Amino acid sequence: MFGQLLVAGIVHGLIIGLAALAVTLVFGIARFPNAAAGDTMTAGAYAGLVAHKASGSLLVAGGAAVAASGLISLLGYLLVFRPLARRPVASLLVAAIGVAFLIRAALGIVFGHQQQVFQVPLAWPIEVAGIRIPPMDLTLAGVAACALAGAFGVLYLTSIGRQMRAVADDPDLARVSGIRPMRVMVTLWLLAGAAAGIAGLMLGVKTVVAPEMGWEGLLSAFAAAILGGIGSPVGAVAAGLLLGIAQEISTPYVGFTYKIALSFAVMLAVLLFRPRGLFGRVEGVR
Amino acid sequence: MVSYIVFLLVIAGIYALLAQSLCLAWGVTGLVNLGLAGFFAIGAYASATVVKWGGAPVPLGLLAALAAGAIAGFVVCVSTLRLRDDYLAIVTLGFAEAVRVVASNEIWLTGGTDGISGIPAGLPRDWGQGFHLASLAAVSAVVGAVWLALRRLVASPWGRALRAVREDQVVAAVAGKRVTRLKAEAFAISAAIAALAGALYGHYTSYIAPEIFQPLVTIYVFLAVTAGGNGRPTGATVGAYLLIAFLEATRFAAEVVPGVSALQAAALREMAVGVALILLLRFRQRGIFPELNQKAPA
Repeated sequence: MFGQLLVAGIVHGLIIGLAALAVTLVFGIARFPNAAAGDTMTAGAYAGLVAHKASGSLLVAGGAAVAASGLISLLGYLLVFRPLARRPVASLLVAAIGVAFLIRAALGIVFGHQQQVFQVPLAWPIEVAGIRIPPMDLTLAGVAACALAGAFGVLYLTSIGRQMRAVADDPDLARVSGIRPMRVMVTLWLLAGAAAGIAGLMLGVKTVVAPEMGWEGLLSAFAAAILGGIGSPVGAVAAGLLLGIAQEISTPYVGFTYKIALSFAVMLAVLLFRPRGLFGRVEGVR
Repeated sequence: MVSYIVFLLVIAGIYALLAQSLCLAWGVTGLVNLGLAGFFAIGAYASATVVKWGGAPVPLGLLAALAAGAIAGFVVCVSTLRLRDDYLAIVTLGFAEAVRVVASNEIWLTGGTDGISGIPAGLPRDWGQGFHLASLAAVSAVVGAVWLALRRLVASPWGRALRAVREDQVVAAVAGKRVTRLKAEAFAISAAIAALAGALYGHYTSYIAPEIFQPLVTIYVFLAVTAGGNGRPTGATVGAYLLIAFLEATRFAAEVVPGVSALQAAALREMAVGVALILLLRFRQRGIFPELNQKAPA
């Protein structure tokens, strides 16, 4: 039973981790909490669903999810967040809420409000040491691992990734060192969108696809980003895994419906006792 | 038709209270409250519980809502006041969701998803039209009173200090303002106003349930405050009445346009709300009633 929940928690945690990666990158570099990240996830899930219906391949679905979410994320930056860049953080945050509702309503108009599911073949679970693991979970974990490897590869092995981390550390210093903000920002939003897209696709395969799914997952993503330490990609993924496992393991005790409340409680506790999270710096009022 | 307009005016008054709440927190102090619907719900449940199950008179219920809202506001903001303000926004977002989850599941307290029905109004409902007119008078009186109080508060030295905090917390702190305390006070008062709106809503419609307190309510209020001008109570209040006019007008427009189902029309309206919010922030950030610069006292 415990092992079973652990497996479910790891898959769920990878989803939260990817979403939290999208949130924490934007929070660390563009410096505002992007409330539209959840609905970017939803867009990825729907794009994946359409591609999966047309092709039957989960790989194609993944490509479609990355492309659609990356594009939406970039458009959000170019059309909304870039013109507002010099405004107070509060304005950006409210604009992000506007973007979130825009995406969700558009998806509702195009796809309707009924829940849809990925038609994936049922398969016998593989039994490892008495724990039954559905093959789909292995596939999803593989997809997530590839996506994370890609994202961390960009962040830590490429020049643009180094520039992104430099901007996250100190935007002014990065600027005087000759780093072009525009290139960094475009990469950031594409990367964050792609991570959200994969997260949305995985969530859609695991549960159902509906216009509200991303908004409901947003709180967990924020909680993981805070727990991991704002701006820390490693922290976001680690915290996502922790939170996912904690949510699954607590289910027998507090019930299915209090998963969201658990994210909230974790978030409050972290902010009260260790606001810099597991790996982050403190973003206090100086 | 008349009763429909009276009903809308009462609802618009309740939205005006929510807008005034957001005006104080966001417009004046710079604290984004994404959990407005949560405080709205807290007030509605507090007052309904006290009046329906406790048998207290309605005014006592409203007081209970004010107290519950202020306490909830204080508790929510206290964990993040020393951090950057966007942390508070995230916490309030979580708070609203948590309130909805608790309200849906703690059936012994809130009636679960069935909600609470038959909430007494304090005015006899068998007056027919008279009941709605009396409710309109009562709600409008509350809106007017809160508007007057907020205007006084915003123009007072306390309000000036809040605006200083909004503009630059470091400067405000250097000038000897107690930043953390000011933010906590403003946020708690703002939450209490939102809770009062919830209590009035419950007593007027006689029915509350978790699905009423959707995040959509919060977005509507943000739109109203942004349109009216977020730094001035007058702007927020006018914005709320404009919002209801806009929502109802689009409802009628959707009925006239052929080939649009009710669900699609609702989604289209949500889309319009999102677009309007973005466009206003981009091009008309100061709203219809921009904040006035005050002369420093001589």
